[in-house]
Amino acid sequence: MRRQVAAAVVVMVGLVAGLAAQEAQGKKYGADLTLTEVTKVSEIYANPEKYSGKRVQVAGPIVDVCEMMGCWLAIGSDQEFQTIRFKVEDGVIVFPMSTKGKNAKVEGVISVETLTEAQQIAQGEEMAREQKTTFDPKTVKGPKVSVMIKGEGAIVF
Amino acid sequence: MFGISGLALNHVADWNPNYRQTRVASQIEPLVGADRDALVTDARAKLSLAEPPLNAFRPDPDTLQLFYEGRTYLIDVPTGNVITEETRPRPVLFQLNQMHINASKGVWTVISDLYALTLIGMALTGLFIVKGRYGLAGRGKWLVGVGALIPLAYWLFSQGQ
Repeated sequence: MRRQVAAAVVVMVGLVAGLAAQEAQGKKYGADLTLTEVTKVSEIYANPEKYSGKRVQVAGPIVDVCEMMGCWLAIGSDQEFQTIRFKVEDGVIVFPMSTKGKNAKVEGVISVETLTEAQQIAQGEEMAREQKTTFDPKTVKGPKVSVMIKGEGAIVF
Repeated sequence: MFGISGLALNHVADWNPNYRQTRVASQIEPLVGADRDALVTDARAKLSLAEPPLNAFRPDPDTLQLFYEGRTYLIDVPTGNVITEETRPRPVLFQLNQMHINASKGVWTVISDLYALTLIGMALTGLFIVKGRYGLAGRGKWLVGVGALIPLAYWLFSQGQ
């Protein structure tokens, strides 16, 4: 019995060590990237309707990461003061906080949505709660077009 | 493993079960520079940062972010107010949570499936280990019934919400 337990422990330690090694090397998240052309974030914002529902690949620095569940990245645009959110399904891809500040190539489908004031306030309050900051609802002025990427795969480097 | 990380993840709305984060405020002279690169150079000099950042970004005209491994500087350009954010995974708990939610996929999917099947097997076979008045035919059926009734009642109740 002791031998069997020892053998099971050795197998499990080996598998976990293999997993750790795989994680250390693994910079790919989710599905493989299939597109060869990178679309500029500024181009998407300039023509949101043109890209709505289209699959795109975007590249840029990771300037923010979902702290709680690792379920989104904010990708810095080629233009200053502009980011785009890369949102993945909860639990399907989990981005660690260690990806913050690194560069990424991400791929997914562009979603364009017009947010009401109430939706913007709810979103702002949720973000503030998550990031332990404050949100002023007075900053919301009218409906706003929200552009994001429904994420499928990413490479972080 | 599932129990410990389950407790931690249940309360994800109240605390971050994966990372310990610190935010420290400090003050430097206001940054001077015509463009982002110049501001980064000035910020590094004023913060005595020998290494270049992994990346730098300006989310708005007044803010400069410098990204280092596990550390981010948020600098208010006109005032020189600095927030230094440090993020470190919680020892052990981070790894447990990652395994619980199967963050890495791959081989861990197979291992965790085996653990889950083993747990199901233990739960089912455990029903028949105790014999007599404390077994399934006696007190056991009531305990099993209560155990099943609580989630069932919650599920039925939550359907109406």
